[in-house]
Amino acid sequence: MTQAAAQEQDVEQSVPLASLFTAFLTVSLCGFGGGLVWARRIVVESRRWISDREFADIVSLCQFMPGPNIVGIAVCVGAKLRGTLGTIAATCGFLVIPWAVGLSLGLLYLKYTHLAVLRNILGGIAATAAGLLIATGIRLLMPHRRRPAALLFAALAFGLIIFGRLPLLIVLFGLVPLSIAVAGLENARAR
Amino acid sequence: MSDPSAAIALTAHLALVSSISFGGFPTVLPDVRNFVVGTHGWMTDQEFANFFAIAQSIPGPNMILMMSFVGWKVWGFSGAVASAFATSGPPCAIYFAGYRLWDRFRDAPWQRIVRLGLVPVTMGIVIASGAVMARAADTGWRTAGLTIAAAAITLATRFNPMWMLLAGGALGGLGLL
Repeated sequence: MTQAAAQEQDVEQSVPLASLFTAFLTVSLCGFGGGLVWARRIVVESRRWISDREFADIVSLCQFMPGPNIVGIAVCVGAKLRGTLGTIAATCGFLVIPWAVGLSLGLLYLKYTHLAVLRNILGGIAATAAGLLIATGIRLLMPHRRRPAALLFAALAFGLIIFGRLPLLIVLFGLVPLSIAVAGLENARAR
Repeated sequence: MSDPSAAIALTAHLALVSSISFGGFPTVLPDVRNFVVGTHGWMTDQEFANFFAIAQSIPGPNMILMMSFVGWKVWGFSGAVASAFATSGPPCAIYFAGYRLWDRFRDAPWQRIVRLGLVPVTMGIVIASGAVMARAADTGWRTAGLTIAAAAITLATRFNPMWMLLAGGALGGLGLL
């Protein structure tokens, strides 16, 4: 085991289950429009449990499995830091209290959907949340910025969805094998 | 409407579609709409659209909440709980098994290459999702400016995003957007 891996092991064993619960509770309650922004902010920036690179790996892995990806991030970060118990703590933190709060709020909201002020407030929040999500994607791409092929494939994925209006699944399963093949070639040449 | 057999049919259907919702739950929303509005007529299109808008605008697990509203409509509180479990349970089990498998091979050379190829594409998709959301919220140059400012501030500083979201909501509420 390398020294870096040994250090990583130390960090992993020292994360209390209660911290995992509260961290993902915060991610969930703050996550207007995109929980990814808060998951990165709390797990990578504030608590420094894992690096940007590892976080990007987990996000990418979750893209390839069915379900709400942000819940997948809670499951995977919990499993990485504390195994099965970690997953349960992180997932419960993410789901239980926010679900109860959200259900009550939502049922209340349903009575006032016609109010213009409410819609304007939500519109402002949505525009801001979109900016936060864009910035988080750029941040997570940063560890790969020195590889021209990485930037090319990121730009392709963006362009095919925004300008090509292709469905997510087609973009994902069309580009990823190509991107992996190019990474494999680069790797072979570097040897 | 309060019919346990309807709730069982809904729960089974949600458990099925959540297990195949690659790319996130929104990809199976059209199917769920057909099931609850078209096939069974448990709610109107307008109600389904309202559930979506509200779930998007409250923090928390949006799609699980939206399906809970659907379950609530079909069988009250029990329906909401059953829908929440059906929507979140199967994916959680798959995520856990998938991560374990991935982690077992974490030092394998092929996994490093897969990561190098995988991450740029998914981050391009994340940035595109932000752009799609921006377009949905876009009502003119002011909202577009707000989106760009929020992105720039997040990249340049470690400023807490909550203040930005509050400021964005306040600007909207005051009618400045």
